Amino acid sequence: MKFVPGRIEVAAGDAITWINVDFVPHSVTSKTVESGDLAQDGRWTWRAQGAGEMAYICRLHPMMRGVVIVK
Amino acid sequence: MNLKHCLSILLLAPAVALAQGKPSDPQIAHIVVTANQIDVDAGKLAESRSQNKEVKAFAKQMVTDHTAVNQQAAALAKKLGVTPQDNDTSRNLQQGAADTAKKLKGLKGAEFDRAYVDNEVAFHQAVLDAIDKVLIPGAQNAELKGLIGKVRPAIQAHLEHARHLQASLSKK
Repeated sequence: MKFVPGRIEVAAGDAITWINVDFVPHSVTSKTVESGDLAQDGRWTWRAQGAGEMAYICRLHPMMRGVVIVK
Repeated sequence: MNLKHCLSILLLAPAVALAQGKPSDPQIAHIVVTANQIDVDAGKLAESRSQNKEVKAFAKQMVTDHTAVNQQAAALAKKLGVTPQDNDTSRNLQQGAADTAKKLKGLKGAEFDRAYVDNEVAFHQAVLDAIDKVLIPGAQNAELKGLIGKVRPAIQAHLEHARHLQASLSKK
């Protein structure tokens, strides 16, 4: 179980969509972001704001980690 | 020696004891469903008994994930027209799970948490070994083999989560 890619670089204003291709539910969760539970084939889109890093985990599987770098 | 002061140690053996011989696809399907159901049941027990927030969250996740796996397994069995077939490995699993549940039900508080998590570590390690050594190599149907392969990362993640929890509980 992991986010693929685990690290992504985007520009401010870009939209990023996470798709759950697993058959167990997952989430995209950070201090400021919460996708809610995404079931199999569930999608969730987040638009990057200002420059910085958004480190996130799957709230349901905290060993799953990812980071979005907003340039 | 005063026996009243002896430390009692509870060992919860991993509940996957594979029977001899190569299982058929219907038997593999039954083993998959049985192993998942065992961890759903253990998770429900821990959800209701544990007072530890992290243990309860882990247990809830086991219920959710293993239920999802079994839904996929049931859908695949239906699609393939396979009826899961009871076998010695499934029976060993069920017997081991019954013994474990009996032991867990006699424990409370931190003792329960440690025993539950220790068992989850052992159980997931044993299931991972079974996936690699028996279930994936043994499955003849490509879709069944694929399903088990897709389950493997979840089992690996559960094992890592359980080990993390085990380490955290041992510090308390």
